[in-house]
Amino acid sequence: MNIKNLDLTIDEISMLQLGDSFFPTGMYTTSSGLEALFYNKRIKSKEQISEFISVCLKYQLGPADCTALSNSHKAAQSSDLKTIIEIDDLLFSMKLVKEIREASTRSGTQLLNCVLSFINETPTSENIYNKDNNSSKSVISSYFDAIKSKDAHGVYPIALGLASNVLNITRERACMLLLYGFTVSIVGAALRLGMFPHFEGQQIIHSLKPVILEVIKKNIDRAHSKMWQFSPGIDILQISHERMDSKMFIT
Amino acid sequence: MNHKRIPRIGIGGPVGSGKTMLIEQFVPLLSQKGYKTAIISNDVVSKIDADRMRKNLASERGLLPESLVIGLATGGCPHTAVREDPSMNISVVEEIEAKHNTDLDLIIIESGGDNITTTFSPALADYFIYIIDVSSGDKYPRKRGLGIENCDLLVINKIDIAPYIGADLKVMENDAKVVRKNKPYVFVNCKTGQGVQEVAEHIIKDVLFEEPPKTVINKTA
Ligand SMILES: Nc1nc2c(ncn2[C@@H]2O[C@H](COP(=O)(O)OP(=O)(O)OP(=O)(O)O)[C@@H](O)[C@H]2O)c(=O)[nH]1
Ligand SMILES: [Mg+2]
Repeated sequence: MNIKNLDLTIDEISMLQLGDSFFPTGMYTTSSGLEALFYNKRIKSKEQISEFISVCLKYQLGPADCTALSNSHKAAQSSDLKTIIEIDDLLFSMKLVKEIREASTRSGTQLLNCVLSFINETPTSENIYNKDNNSSKSVISSYFDAIKSKDAHGVYPIALGLASNVLNITRERACMLLLYGFTVSIVGAALRLGMFPHFEGQQIIHSLKPVILEVIKKNIDRAHSKMWQFSPGIDILQISHERMDSKMFIT
Repeated sequence: MNHKRIPRIGIGGPVGSGKTMLIEQFVPLLSQKGYKTAIISNDVVSKIDADRMRKNLASERGLLPESLVIGLATGGCPHTAVREDPSMNISVVEEIEAKHNTDLDLIIIESGGDNITTTFSPALADYFIYIIDVSSGDKYPRKRGLGIENCDLLVINKIDIAPYIGADLKVMENDAKVVRKNKPYVFVNCKTGQGVQEVAEHIIKDVLFEEPPKTVINKTA
């Protein structure tokens, strides 16, 4: 094959990198309440797990996380830190379960930390904690500083939006990364709970591809002022999971 | 703000080898010398260990605040949580550092019980203690494994039960010497505290570099 005609870019490889479950964000520590459903024996079949993920995508991640990511990606293109912080705060307030909020900000902060370590602006204890010298900073560094000074929370979707922007991953694709990553992390959790064998896991992921696309279409152009999430059944379940004594997953 | 990394010790070892008990034994020794510690416990299926340490060390003895004994679930991946993706642990460590960088001397991270290939990411821990016990016989440490070979300090626990297992401590000692070249190892009994003083001394010398406790430095400064 002629290298010159190779229809591939570095940006696409970056997308694989951020989308890989090997990328260190600690997402494998959460099950979003699936573990509680499993121990309560309320979910047994492959279809029910698929349904659970689908509900999370449509009523939690889509209209909240996906919209937040999309708008923060846009705001990052015009270096609009103020709007980014506003969306960050809004999304944080929509995460009703403490441990999910915490897990999201921890994943987000570490995602930024990692990306900053390879895009030249390596964070060092000097430039993170020293607030002088702010002028020429990119928006992703400024957001990271805001997290460190507690002016922002650092929820994962915003971090992913800014990381995608800096790595030239489009808004659409960034949304896809978010929803796909979530799907994989829940399927991974189900596998580790021994709910089904590995091929079934891939079948579930495959069957959810149209849902992922549909959720992106519905939510990518939503204004952040119109963000919502509504899945009280899942909220209650996640809260009860938070209180479980014996558990493998943070939530 | 002068933000200095607080030294961190990672403690790994097979399920039930005595990681939690070792911490319960050496924290009071460090505390006697004025060193302030925080503990993060990565449990595999519960927060029993974190709850036990919080009760024993914080609530009952007041050696550290209750909020500085933190339990973390690892999604069934205890080795991932301290090696290839330590994100959650690092986040918690950084949260502690941001709040306590003037008074805290040491952060202790207990890994979930795991197999003998566990190692800690250097991004997470500065010093790595690996603890095995004699209950599976004297074939360890001869069997090697990354943890046993590479750790900064190898602790061999439960020497009190060696006679019942038929484990020969002399054999374990010789093998430890061979496998670890010149790196240190200590025999302990975490039930009685025998040998734990030596572990504390290693920590003070090799992790804290014999610096006085921060609260003492800050008082005289
Ligand atoms: N006889 C004897 N028992 C010990 C000793 N040290 C620990 N134990 C016992 O071994 C068991 C496990 O000790 P832990 O400290 O919980 O071990 P751990 O490595 O933290 O266990 P996990 O975190 O669950 O992997 C407990 O029942 C302790 O009482 C020892 O030196 N001698
Ligand atoms: Mg333990």
